Amino acid sequence: MSPLAKGTVAAAFDGLGPVEQVRGNRIRLTTTPGQVRDALTKALRELACDHVIQISAADNGKTFDLIYHLTGPHRTVVAIAVELPRDRPEISTVSDLLPPAGIYERQIHDLLGIVFAGHPGLKRIILNEDWPEGEYPLRKDWKPDPSKFYGGVREGAQ
Amino acid sequence: MSLSQRLVNWARLKSPWITIFNSGACNACDIEAIATLTPRFDIERFGILSKGSPRHADILIITGPVTRKQALRLRNVYEQMPEPKYVIAMGACGASGGVFKGLYHVVDSVDEVVPVDLYIGGCPPRPDEIIDGVVKCLRCSRRTSPAAGRSGGGRRSVPPRRPSQRRRPQR
Repeated sequence: MSPLAKGTVAAAFDGLGPVEQVRGNRIRLTTTPGQVRDALTKALRELACDHVIQISAADNGKTFDLIYHLTGPHRTVVAIAVELPRDRPEISTVSDLLPPAGIYERQIHDLLGIVFAGHPGLKRIILNEDWPEGEYPLRKDWKPDPSKFYGGVREGAQ
Repeated sequence: MSLSQRLVNWARLKSPWITIFNSGACNACDIEAIATLTPRFDIERFGILSKGSPRHADILIITGPVTRKQALRLRNVYEQMPEPKYVIAMGACGASGGVFKGLYHVVDSVDEVVPVDLYIGGCPPRPDEIIDGVVKCLRCSRRTSPAAGRSGGGRRSVPPRRPSQRRRPQR
């Protein structure tokens, strides 16, 4: 299969947001959190993107950047980028459309506190089991609270 | 020391069995520790054998800083080892935290979790240095009679965390 052209991707993602060719074989769609499931469904059905490389998440200080990197037999990386507000970081899950995305969503939920609504098991995966709830260490404004116990071995405990 | 005790002590010093525990290292120390077991360095001439289970081992080699997730598991592994037991913390991370010092997911030092007898510096330490460390650890076990134990016959107590160690990770 030959690589995807920017025009093909833009036609498939028509009405969802701007499409740009960020690098040789990387094409990025910037969309809104509400349309991410539509964009992913279109990528799956029309662009044959059956493989999620990863979901990258970053805290840029103002918002959370979430980028779904997808690829398929055409070997073109199709990225779907969304921005989430800091005060309400919530987005609907895509783990039912693309099951391998579920584990990335758990990881992002663990480290950045982004809620993926509809995820079947948004449990702890990276941090230790006794890590306090509501602390997200990869947020830029996170500071350890000296009065809290962050895991390890407690005094006197065996 | 009675003859039987001396005999047991002699036998122990002739064949220290080690077990390697990765407590969150970057794997470089593990590679060097595995390289130590290869015929090139031939540690079996010192009777050093690597055992898969901590229940068979005399010396626990800890590679790396202790992550918060591994801390209780490391404590469990340590407690499964029979007395007398010795702990070697390996690498710059085991000795001081290394590049991971102060991060949110590591505890402040290895001896907060288990008592450490010997630190081997280096990033990673060469196999010769690991052999040197194990042999020096034997010297420290020669000084103490295993039958008497180092804490007066009983189990070695795990040190309580010192007040100075009650620091939280700093960004």
